[in-house]
Amino acid sequence: MKKILVDYKKCTGCRQCETACSASHFDGEVNPEKSRIRVYIDEENSLFHPVISGPFTNAHCTSKNIVIMDGVEYDECVVCRASCPGRPWFFEPGTKIALKCDFCGDPPDPQCVAICAHGALQLIDDLGVSRIRKQKKKTA
Amino acid sequence: MNSWPGKLLRVDLTRGTWAVEDIDPQLARDYIGGRGLGTKILYDEVDPAVDPLGPDNKLILLTGPLTATGAPASARYMAITKSPLTGAIASSNSGGYFPAELRYAGFNGIILEGASDKPVALWIKDGEVELKPADDLWGKTSEETEDAIRDQIEDDWEAKATRIACIGPAGENMARLACIINDTHRAAGRSGVGAVMGSKKLKAIVVRGTQGVQTADFPEFKAAVKTAMQKLASGPVTSQGLPTYGTAILVNIINECGILPTHNFQKGMFAGASKISGESIAENIMTRNKGCFACSIACARMTVIEEGKYAGHGEGPEYETVELMGADCGIDDLAPIAKANYLCNFYGLDSISAACTVATAMELYEKGYIPREDAGMDLSFGNPDALVGLIEQMGKGEGLGKIAMHGSWFLANHYGHTELSMDVKKQEIPAYDPRGVQGMGLTYATSNRGGCHVRGYTIANEVLGVHEKLDPLVTEGKAATVKVFQDLTALVDSSGLCLFVTLTPGFGFDDMQAMIKGATGFDYTVHEVIVASERIWNLEKLFNMKAGFTRADDTLPKRLLEEPLTEGGPKGQVCRLHEMLPEYYELRGWDENGVPKPELLERLGLQA
Repeated sequence: MKKILVDYKKCTGCRQCETACSASHFDGEVNPEKSRIRVYIDEENSLFHPVISGPFTNAHCTSKNIVIMDGVEYDECVVCRASCPGRPWFFEPGTKIALKCDFCGDPPDPQCVAICAHGALQLIDDLGVSRIRKQKKKTA
Repeated sequence: MNSWPGKLLRVDLTRGTWAVEDIDPQLARDYIGGRGLGTKILYDEVDPAVDPLGPDNKLILLTGPLTATGAPASARYMAITKSPLTGAIASSNSGGYFPAELRYAGFNGIILEGASDKPVALWIKDGEVELKPADDLWGKTSEETEDAIRDQIEDDWEAKATRIACIGPAGENMARLACIINDTHRAAGRSGVGAVMGSKKLKAIVVRGTQGVQTADFPEFKAAVKTAMQKLASGPVTSQGLPTYGTAILVNIINECGILPTHNFQKGMFAGASKISGESIAENIMTRNKGCFACSIACARMTVIEEGKYAGHGEGPEYETVELMGADCGIDDLAPIAKANYLCNFYGLDSISAACTVATAMELYEKGYIPREDAGMDLSFGNPDALVGLIEQMGKGEGLGKIAMHGSWFLANHYGHTELSMDVKKQEIPAYDPRGVQGMGLTYATSNRGGCHVRGYTIANEVLGVHEKLDPLVTEGKAATVKVFQDLTALVDSSGLCLFVTLTPGFGFDDMQAMIKGATGFDYTVHEVIVASERIWNLEKLFNMKAGFTRADDTLPKRLLEEPLTEGGPKGQVCRLHEMLPEYYELRGWDENGVPKPELLERLGLQA
């Protein structure tokens, strides 16, 4: 199985992934609002985080975690993959249909990964969680 | 449905009304978009002799057919108007996220005319338009303005997705160096376009869009984009130099060439160059690099000065800024330079012109032309407090800043020594000394918006050797180089792409033609887009001629023509403009006075 490795520290906030995703799924229409990947941008803390859409949920969370990235606390919504009523991402404007990443291409060749110039998104073979962690340690 | 030519929003600020117009497809085809189409609209609708700060001047904000399409570096818009700094045409370019959002909101451009008598903000959301009072925003810096506007938007996510272009206090004060800031840190910087916005009492433009942009032939467009992106990914400047070290990677390179303007262009080398270089920025103050919308180059630097009296955070400084605030002011410390750059963005000042003006002030002061009581501080070269202090005064319109905020020529003129202003057509010259890079001298002298490096960036060949390596000290053949760079730049600026795509080996008119053709559906040939780029350049020239400019204005400061450089490779050199200018006029199809000949105008479809 293929996976997309998201390394937010390499993201530059250019949102080219949003353009590529929407264009490939909507017959050439470039529209970040129709993209199944969105980049969360916190300029004040120099943070860019690509988030790829996962399953639809029809309700808000009743409790949430706090995520710490680069020493800054964020609401979990920032990295959550769900399309939910609490956040306007991953709903098609107008129809409000929830959009979910479909690992486009056969074999998988996600357009967001193909266009990312900085390696923030990479298509990898499923190594298993522990292997990923080990590899990271090796390169660190 | 193809989103180009699409719609324009025309706002009458005097009456507080607006109308939506279709862009004429023939004009769009002939002038591409952005800078070209904006020039055409300005030329047709505004008398070039108009008072730039009066209600009859118009401010035109235009994207191009590639803006927001996902083409590489397709983040740009242009602000076109008559410049209050030069009196010539102004067309200033900016990126970030705002221009793309404008297209997603349903408009490819905005024409601002008339003038409001009270501060207003223009709100645009998916084709809906509103002019709201902005008294509460007046006086605020760009950062405060963005915060205050976002506070007015109830939904946090919506507020975050909203993009804003605004003026700071400098624009409100109609400082001739005022710029339009978008996304807090990006600037349509030069020629005082922010003063024109201020004269119309328009504080901010607030944009939110959820509509898409559709290209005419997506498969064709996508193939062209892929080719261009592969070139960008293989070019050392666009794939390594700029992403890693930003534009300031040039500091050491330009210093080694002996053309790093130092102490107001008195010298071409600076002992402290490495301390203010891109390498030093990356090592000491940078937190992240950042890309404008859909840009793989990511040359922007997010920086922070952690502590001390210059503490602050923001973006930059870029090469021009760090060089001119650094070497040209004799300062070798990044902290005050970064601070002064942040202040420029917050107050809405063009950091290139502002930095040059400080350098001019320093020379005027050291030569005793600015009396101590006027200066109010020690304006000696190398004094970091003078840099930060004077920029602050210029931003607020206080003290000496009241005069200096109008630029180096106005400042030098006030004290009777315009020979110390390093400008062309009253606009300050950027950070390459043309005595050691002859083609840039011709670029500066013939630029339609006055002293400017991005109208024909021959550094690409004369120093960096991007397309071919040329000897910077030779004048032979430079006229042709300058013309090609000027024309290609006119095309890039009109398309909605960033000029940096041209820093890619082998990137040229054919790449632009392929992408523009795919996006617009106009069956452009390479020949047609080259002719269009010449048409744009010549129409700007015609505007300037009607505004009163002549051959006498196509020149450089006396210092650069007569005083030789004293060290390094170009030691003993002056800029030999006279060897290049006549050839340039001839190549352009202009007569010896720099006036376009009738047969040229006919070929370009510009005959009266």
